[in-house]
Amino acid sequence: MTNSFSQTRIARIASRLRRLATRRSIRLTSEGTRFLLLTLGIGMAAINTGNNLFYLLLAMMLSLVVISGLLSEQCLRGLAFHRHVPDLVMANDPTTVTLSVTNRHAHLPSFSVKLFDVAGGQDLDRGLFVGHLPAQRSLLLSYPLLASTRGWIRLECIRAETLFPFGLFRKRALYQVHADILVGPPIKPLSLRFVDELVSEGQGLSLPRRGHGTQLYNLRLYQPGDDSRAIHWMTTARTSQLIVRETEAEDQRRITILLSTVAPEDRNFLFEHSVTLVASLLWQLSHRSYPLRLIVGREDSGLGSGSDHLLAMLRLLALCERRQPGRSADDAADQVGALSHDAERGYTVVVMPWVDPDRPAAPVAADRVLHAAQIEELTHAF
Amino acid sequence: MPFEQAFRLSSVLLAATALTGLLFARIVPAWLAAVTILILTVTLLDAIDWPPGMRLAARMPASPILWNGLLIGAFALFLLDAAIISGEMLPAGIHFLVILLGIKLLTLHHRRDYRHLYAICLMALLATASLTTDAWYVPVFLLYLLATVWTLLLYHLTGQTPRSVPTPTGRPNALPNPRRITGRFFWLTNGIALLTFALTLAIFFVLPRVSAGLLPKSRGEGLKTTGFSERVDLGMIGSVKEDPQIVMRVELPDQPAPGKDRLYLRGLAYDRYDGRSWSAGSRHRRNLGLIGDGTFLVRPSGSRTPSGPSDQLRQDILLEALDTSVLFAAPFAESLSGEFAGVQADAMTGLHVPYPASSRIRYSVTSREPRITADEQSARELDYANAVRDRYLQLPELSPRVTELARRVAEGATTPYEKTAAVLQHLLNGYRYSLDLETTASARPIEDFLFARKTGYCEHYATAMVVMLRSLGIPARLVTGFLATEWNDFGGYYTVRQRDAHAWVEVYYPRSGWITLDPTPASGAVPSPSGWEALQRIGESLRLQWDRTFIRYSARDQLAVVHGLRDGSDSARDVVGQWVTALRAAAARTLDRVATQTRTADPVAGGFLAVLPAALLALLIVLVRTRWRSGLFSNRPAARAQQIVHLYRRMQDIAARQGIVTGPSTTPMEFVKLVGREWTEAGSTVASVTALYCRGRFSGAALSREELAGALEQVGALQHLTRAAR
Repeated sequence: MTNSFSQTRIARIASRLRRLATRRSIRLTSEGTRFLLLTLGIGMAAINTGNNLFYLLLAMMLSLVVISGLLSEQCLRGLAFHRHVPDLVMANDPTTVTLSVTNRHAHLPSFSVKLFDVAGGQDLDRGLFVGHLPAQRSLLLSYPLLASTRGWIRLECIRAETLFPFGLFRKRALYQVHADILVGPPIKPLSLRFVDELVSEGQGLSLPRRGHGTQLYNLRLYQPGDDSRAIHWMTTARTSQLIVRETEAEDQRRITILLSTVAPEDRNFLFEHSVTLVASLLWQLSHRSYPLRLIVGREDSGLGSGSDHLLAMLRLLALCERRQPGRSADDAADQVGALSHDAERGYTVVVMPWVDPDRPAAPVAADRVLHAAQIEELTHAF
Repeated sequence: MPFEQAFRLSSVLLAATALTGLLFARIVPAWLAAVTILILTVTLLDAIDWPPGMRLAARMPASPILWNGLLIGAFALFLLDAAIISGEMLPAGIHFLVILLGIKLLTLHHRRDYRHLYAICLMALLATASLTTDAWYVPVFLLYLLATVWTLLLYHLTGQTPRSVPTPTGRPNALPNPRRITGRFFWLTNGIALLTFALTLAIFFVLPRVSAGLLPKSRGEGLKTTGFSERVDLGMIGSVKEDPQIVMRVELPDQPAPGKDRLYLRGLAYDRYDGRSWSAGSRHRRNLGLIGDGTFLVRPSGSRTPSGPSDQLRQDILLEALDTSVLFAAPFAESLSGEFAGVQADAMTGLHVPYPASSRIRYSVTSREPRITADEQSARELDYANAVRDRYLQLPELSPRVTELARRVAEGATTPYEKTAAVLQHLLNGYRYSLDLETTASARPIEDFLFARKTGYCEHYATAMVVMLRSLGIPARLVTGFLATEWNDFGGYYTVRQRDAHAWVEVYYPRSGWITLDPTPASGAVPSPSGWEALQRIGESLRLQWDRTFIRYSARDQLAVVHGLRDGSDSARDVVGQWVTALRAAAARTLDRVATQTRTADPVAGGFLAVLPAALLALLIVLVRTRWRSGLFSNRPAARAQQIVHLYRRMQDIAARQGIVTGPSTTPMEFVKLVGREWTEAGSTVASVTALYCRGRFSGAALSREELAGALEQVGALQHLTRAAR
């Protein structure tokens, strides 16, 4: 008991020390190495001769070293960071991350500070450089972020580095500024013929809904982002509030897309393409204002429309993971079977990157099933 | 001025400072100095871009072959210089360094070249430090430090060109960087230089002084002196009587002001005179005994101390490097302390170090000058020991006229003391002091002086007196040394120069000892002190301070400082302890009195005492608030911007207390809208203060003090406003 307690304490102290060590570090630059060698030489000359003017010169060089340490510390100490990241970014689609840097120091400005993102313990050079930041001032830096794979990106810290004032030492400081960025699958252009086919196949399963059309569906308050052409001026004049007119969609098909997440490892590539295909399809259909529903593995987005719903579905796709075959509970066929009892499922598209050849094909109650060959055909240009 | 231009300028100024040091050290030949100054001037004009667009240095041929050839040539010249021209490594190396400096100034194309230039400059300053200990090093060093701080800072800032990383907005991530020398940057850099200087001083005094002497130190040539060798020819001192070079500085720690207008600094004594030159009969020297802490006892233990009255005199002497091993001190040294491996004394108490010092030396001497006793003044005859008679009554073959003159001068004098005084008066009054003598050696210089020319300088007077006294049977000897007359009021010390070299006489009295007498009349050519001389003395005093504080600073001084601090802390602790005890006693008395008064049940006093802590607390709160308000009306726009942010937050807190809670993402305008909707009475106030907040925080425009005061009042009013129930 006592042993485990002391071990815990030691581990805690070690962790604190490690954190302390990583928070500040100082390294010699090549100029600094030369400078210190010269200092050493002058020191030896001073000791050898006892000449006080050599000692004076030595003291000057040592004081420059000390001043370097003090000023670089002052340069970094007052900095505070705040990172602004979008809620969702798409893979292979550059997005902008904004970093706010504040110099909280009362009097001293900060000079020549390079900033790095720290992710996975690695410093990522985004080309961020603060040449001069006066005391009590902030500035915004932005840089492009290009994620190559979907999922979470965790930006752990910001590392600030300065050579100020004399370039003799490279002083680095670590600031805990966490940011988690969700990366969705990339959105790719799809064949218009394929999308049109899907749209035309599910006629009849319609409900009145908002969308492109000519018939009045609803009047509501104007919200930022609304098309100004949709403002209903007469009602606006009557009520003194901006009112927009919503129209009833002319085509009113509901579409459910089910993505099977079961695939062996060697089909991972195709699975990822399937995810991209589903994301792109959702994007296209959402822009045509269809009520959409996405089922990924056990996750179900529910039926909905609009940009928020699209984002929710893309988040599901961002986080979905391929599962090894053998866990029948996750099987897409079972889920489709369950869906067959759902009256509101609408037109159902099942995307199956892999089908177990050893199992008999289950009766799939889907309107359209995309198997590996079709997925490959649709995504070969991705 | 743009950073790049300032960087070039500071680099050239750094080189100029380094070269100035070498020029002051007088080690650079005139032709080389002229060429380097010319190059420096051209690069300096280029750095300030004058005449505009000329850029002479940039038009220099940039062929590396040419410059490499020049470098090889300079190295060959260095070898030739070291082997033949200078014959020494140090001057040859410095000449090479100056040539390198010139070449580098003309080829400052890359950052690498600047680094080379800085290394050369550092070496130049190091060489200067090895060549001098003079006070002119101070301004050179200070300028060098200033230029170094500027140069290193600008070197770093001009090298930190931000990479242009394209952003989706199309703007690079390079931040607005002034890249010009602004007023704030100027003062910041000078502040850094000042800080560096202060730290340099601190480190300098704290650095442990270790002198390992791993490599042999070259022994420099000292100042050439005359009159302190084994044999002194008459007329030798005359050759240095116009030389103003400083030989030593003498402080009298016990006498801030000089007690007398002249101080004799004894060097060597001579007892044998052969008619043309003086020498010492015995060359034997004994090693002085060390009595601890670097102090040597000059008088051998057990020797007889003169029984007459005497004056003790302490002197701190800073002796320049001389070509003689003689140590000078006021007559007669009793003890001597300094950083010496050993000190020797000859038979006539002349002090010597084992070999001439290669640099300045500092030592302290305690002397005791005897005065003749009253009974020896009146004694008709004195009983001299045989050894004394043999040694100090020796005379060469002289003209009988000298003896005759001595007898005639002393006629009427009945005692040796009176005879001595008569001879002294005769020489003082009957002869003229002059340095305008023929340098050709006379066969009988004393006879010439006494009977023919009747003019001479100190050696002639002193020799004549010794000879005349000896012919009268009074033991005497000739002493050479310096006669200090130049008192520096600013530094509180005597400045002794080559021209102060002097010779005088010591007369022996068996009980009083050797009495110093000077038969040389004052020279008529004493220049009157002028304003320029006063300035010179100030400079001289500063030089001494420089020498004492920096050049002579040693491990012993460090120890003294540590001891001083320890003693100081002990005494400070004692004083603080006494204070604490006194305060504690006073507090105890006061409390006691208070308790007694409370017991006496004076209701007014009791009430007062109960209210007192609360009143003090209230006063403290008022003070803090006043301080905050005074901060509010600060003259600094940045401080006022901070205050409006503070007021805005306070306003948000007030609204929150009224149930209007805002989230972190609520913008100021949303806040105004929210308050306008939910708390109509406060709407206008909140809108007004928020508008000020937005302007003060985000527009960069400074708020006026009146606006801030108005906002403060409005927020204060808001505090008393209650939200109507809805």
